[in-house]
Order: sequence, then C-alpha cells, then structure tokens
Amino acid sequence: MADKGLKGGSLGLVAVIVIGVASTAPGYSLAAGIGGIADAAGVKAPFIMLFAFVPMGCIAAAFYYLNKADPDCGTNFTWGVRAFGPRAGWISGWGCIVADLVIMPNLAGISGQYLVLLFSEKLAQNIYLTTTIGILFIVAMCWICWKGIELSAKSQVILLGTEVVILSVFAVVAIVKAFHGTTRTALNGDGVATVYHSIRPSLSWMSPSGLSTQAITAGLVVAIFAYWGWDTCVSVNEEAEDSSRTPGIAAVLSTFILLAIYLLTSYGVVSLLGPTFVSDNSGDAIYAAGKVALPAIFVKLLVIAVLTSAAASCQTTILPATRTMLSMGAHGAGPQKLAQINHKQLTPDFSTWLFGGISIGWYLLLVLVSHNSSTDAYSASIAAVGMAIAVYYGVSGLSCVWYYRRYLLVSAKNFFLIGFLPLFGGVVLIFVFCKTVWDARNEAYGYGLLFGVGTVLVIGTLLLAVGVPLMIWCSFKYPTFFSYSPDPIHTVPDPYSESTLAAPLGTYTKENRHGW
Amino acid sequence: MAGDFVVGIGPDGSGESAAIYAAHLAQLLKRSVVLVFGYEASSMGPRGGPLEDQIEAIADEVTSAVRNRLVEAFPDVEVNIELIRDRAVDSLIIAAEAHEAELIVVGHGGRGPLRAALLGSTTYELVHRGPIPILVVPDPDEE
Repeated sequence: MADKGLKGGSLGLVAVIVIGVASTAPGYSLAAGIGGIADAAGVKAPFIMLFAFVPMGCIAAAFYYLNKADPDCGTNFTWGVRAFGPRAGWISGWGCIVADLVIMPNLAGISGQYLVLLFSEKLAQNIYLTTTIGILFIVAMCWICWKGIELSAKSQVILLGTEVVILSVFAVVAIVKAFHGTTRTALNGDGVATVYHSIRPSLSWMSPSGLSTQAITAGLVVAIFAYWGWDTCVSVNEEAEDSSRTPGIAAVLSTFILLAIYLLTSYGVVSLLGPTFVSDNSGDAIYAAGKVALPAIFVKLLVIAVLTSAAASCQTTILPATRTMLSMGAHGAGPQKLAQINHKQLTPDFSTWLFGGISIGWYLLLVLVSHNSSTDAYSASIAAVGMAIAVYYGVSGLSCVWYYRRYLLVSAKNFFLIGFLPLFGGVVLIFVFCKTVWDARNEAYGYGLLFGVGTVLVIGTLLLAVGVPLMIWCSFKYPTFFSYSPDPIHTVPDPYSESTLAAPLGTYTKENRHGW
Repeated sequence: MAGDFVVGIGPDGSGESAAIYAAHLAQLLKRSVVLVFGYEASSMGPRGGPLEDQIEAIADEVTSAVRNRLVEAFPDVEVNIELIRDRAVDSLIIAAEAHEAELIVVGHGGRGPLRAALLGSTTYELVHRGPIPILVVPDPDEE
C-alpha cells in the first residue's frame, strides 16, 4: 500500500483561472508598462495590448508541448538542451534568470512608491524612503518564497477579484469621463504648465494603421512583459480535476479575462487625458490617472490593487528564476549548491537568497544610475525585460519546432499547434529583440543614454552578454553537462502517444550519441 | 480500510509524537495507521523534474524513518505511508476520506497565536475543516 511518489493534487477550474490571471499580475503590469506603451504607440495602446498577446499565446503552445516531453522546473533550460544542445540550453536558462533579475528593481521600485503613495504623495518623492522600502519588499518576497507560504485559494480569489473590479471601475469611469471631455493642467518641476485634454475613444485604436514598425516593436517589447507569467502558468500547471478539460477551459477563460482587462484599462488610461499624460507620468501612470478619474477612497483601493498585484508578480518572478537555477544546478550545468533544498521548507533556499541578494545589488545600482544621470533606468528595465523575455521565449518556440520536427507533418493539427504557432511566436519575438537592439542604440528611442548607448540596450543586453563568458567558464568547470548532445530525432516521443516523457536529461552524450 | 487512524507528518519530522500516540491507540483498538505526507510546490512557478524529485526523496526519507520507529515499538500495528501532492490540510482530508478513516491525529508545534495567524497553521485549519474527529498531540519542545 506504500505508494512511491507524490500523488497529484486537484485544482478546480476557478483555482486554475485565478492562478493564471494572478500570476500575470494585471494591476502591476499596467502600472509599470502603460507609460512605455503610450509613449511608443500613443492612442494605439489598445492595439499593442491586443497584438502582444499573439506571440505570447503562440509560445504557450510551445510550453505546453515541451512540458509533455519533460515537465522540468528548468522549463526552457532543459528544453533548449534537448533541442539544440547544452550551450543553447544554458543560454536560454540564463535568459530566464536575467529576465527575472532585470524586473526586480522595477517591482521593488513600484512597490516602494505605491506603498508610500498610500500615505503621502510628498514622501513618495523621497528616493531614500522608497528605495529602503523596495529593498525590504525584495527581502520579504524572498522570505515568502523561501518559506513556501501560499495564500489559500479563497484569499487569492478575493484579492484578484478586488483587483479586477477596481481596474474595471477605473477604466469605465475614465472612458465615461473621456466621452464627456476633461481637461487638466499640470505644472512640471520648472513651473511650466501643460494642459492635457481627454480624447474621445475610438474603435480605430485597435488597428495598427498609422503606426511605424519601430513604434509597434517599441510598444510590443513592453507589452510582452504584461502577458509574462500567464503562459507558464496555463501551460505548465496541468494538474487539475478532470485534467483533460479543465486546463483548456481555464486557459481560454483566463485569457479572455486578461485581454478584457488590458483592453478596457488601456482604453481608459489613454483616453482620459490623452497618451502624453500617461507617458509624462510613466513612473506612476495608473495612480496619476486614477487620481483624475476616481474619488480618493477608490484611488487608495487602486493603489492597494497594484500593490497586491506586485506581490503576486514578485512570486512569479522569484519562483521561476530560482527553479531554473535549481534545475541548472541539479543537472550539473552550474554549481551543485544551486540545487540545494531546505529540508524543512522544501524550497530551494540557496538559490532564493542568492537571487534576492543579486536583485538588491542590481536594484541599488539602477537607483544610483537613475539618480545621477538623465536616464530613467526603472522604466527602461521594463523594455529591457521585454528583450530578455523575447530571447528566451523565442528560443523556447524554436526549440519546440525543432525538437518535435519528426511529428510536424503527421497531422494538420500537429503542423499548426506544434509547428506553426511556436515558430510564428518564436520568429516574432526574436524579431522584436533584434529590432529593439537596433532601434534602442541611440537616444531617440527614449529612456536616456548610458555610456553613450541607449539605456534599454545596455540593460537589456549587458546581463545577457555576461552569460557568454559565464557559460564558457562553466563548460570548463562542468564538462559532463557540456558533453550532452541534443536528443536524437528518433528518440523523441510522440506528444499524442500514451507515454510522452523523454529519457532523462543526459541520456544522450557526444560519446554515446544514441544512448545505448 | 475503514477505521484507520490518519497521521500528518511534516517535512521536519513534526508529527512524530502524534504518530506514536496514534500507533499506541491503534494497538489497543486493533486498527492500522496511515502516515500522510502532503506537500505542494507553489503552483505559481514551474514544477517537476529535480524539484519534485528532491521533495519526494525527502518525503520518503522522513515518513520511512517515522514508520520504522513505529514498527519497532508497536510490531502488531500495520503502518502505511501516503505521499500526496497537495496542501497539508487538503492532503489529510483526502487521505482520511480515501481510507474512510475514523480519526486524524496531528502534531502541534507550539506556534504562538500570532505566528499561526500570520503563517497559517495546519492544525488550526484542520480543526475547523476536519470531517471526522481530530486528535492534537503537542510536539515536544524544540530545545
């Protein structure tokens, strides 16, 4: 009767939807990203919000199928190894860790700022106060992840429900006000008055007409970040009651909810006082717009919604990063210590605190840079994280197509779901990355300059580039892992057969190509 | 088997006193004991692979150690193990229902009310949600 192995749990439909939407953290994503999107695309922000979903949805298909072959917490790291070999896998894993790391300062910054905004607008300008709170926030979030604390399903439903309701109320009020017409005059630091006028919302905001490719990619690289988290959650977490149907329905419903929130709020924010108002207040766009649209008590609720959403987002940032680190350590691609699990909490303790420590260092560095130069490193990190996401998701999309190349032409369904969608998503994302590298090289891209180069480019590629020497160092230190070869084509299991699991990572090596 | 005593075992081996107490009762009443280890890696991040392998190894090690002690002390009592991938409280309830258990026995780590309120307490939640009688056996002090 002694069962070997942990039995699966049972997540209900509502729980899967809630986890899917909560881990995307719409409130925080909007607070952090809408400024950059409005800056790039103006009133066409709703179009960017809709369009960004397409590549992310395609990559979710890649995650879904690759997870069938190897449900490893290292996700794109292990899949990269299987499709393209240890070096590509290593860099893909690094891309995931970098993306998570790059976003931490922004998360901490927004949390610090919004928390202080709850009490005093003046204090929120105090960089020492908000930075201290930001650091405490990172420590607290790492502690929660280390401790393995999980909110009960019920409290998650309540928190997320409040967030969705508040955002919708805000958006609807903003749109109504925009139809009636509002004007607001704001004084900037130099005493110059700017007058913002509301714009009548129009359905044409959902079409790309009149946008340059540069504007679309600049918006996309930010909006990609808004959907980040949704895909992993929906595609990787399959355990649910009646697992043949629930994840599918949950994916559709959570997508619908997300798209609706993003569309509605981007309409509201942009129309309320025009896109310039949003990009001028990109640091706290949702708060600034909320103050115009809503009575004080609702503004406080809006701030709380952004804060709880940031906390959820922090979890979905720390957990994947530390689990990728754990996977890399466990498979011998990096120090074994990364795979260490705390016996009492059953969480990767070393990885969690290492990630937390590096995040704090990176956060302080960005605060220093932002404070002492014309650069807006916070907002730049949102675009930079979009670049890192584009790389490692792009690689995941291509990994799926290449890994399953044997089955692509078996059926039309295979061709579309395993071939076309992941390939399309992967190509779009890699294109967004390359185009951003090209566009962001000079000052005209916005967000300021660092070392004479666009800040987004520096932040987005610096950490990624550090991965290359680090990988070479690892390849000398851990030669066993780097002797692995991609899974030979005839060993790849059919994703629609009874057993979809591939042989353990490391079965196929350069010396032992076919594993026997 | 109907009438089993279900015992919750934590990753740090908490619940051992509860298990000994349950086995003692089981010996007197001629019942068997089911040791339940419930743990779920956070569903907000990817799981599987080395993470769950390690958790499983720890779960196996901890419950087997408790089981060995029980078998030694109470040779007549049948001791089974259930590892369930779910929150601790849910795991205990699932196991109790599956075994048509008569009693759930859990430890109590002596957490103060404040810590329990902030961090949640398996025992506290179970007392309120348990479908069958619950017996709480305090764990010995950590010192």
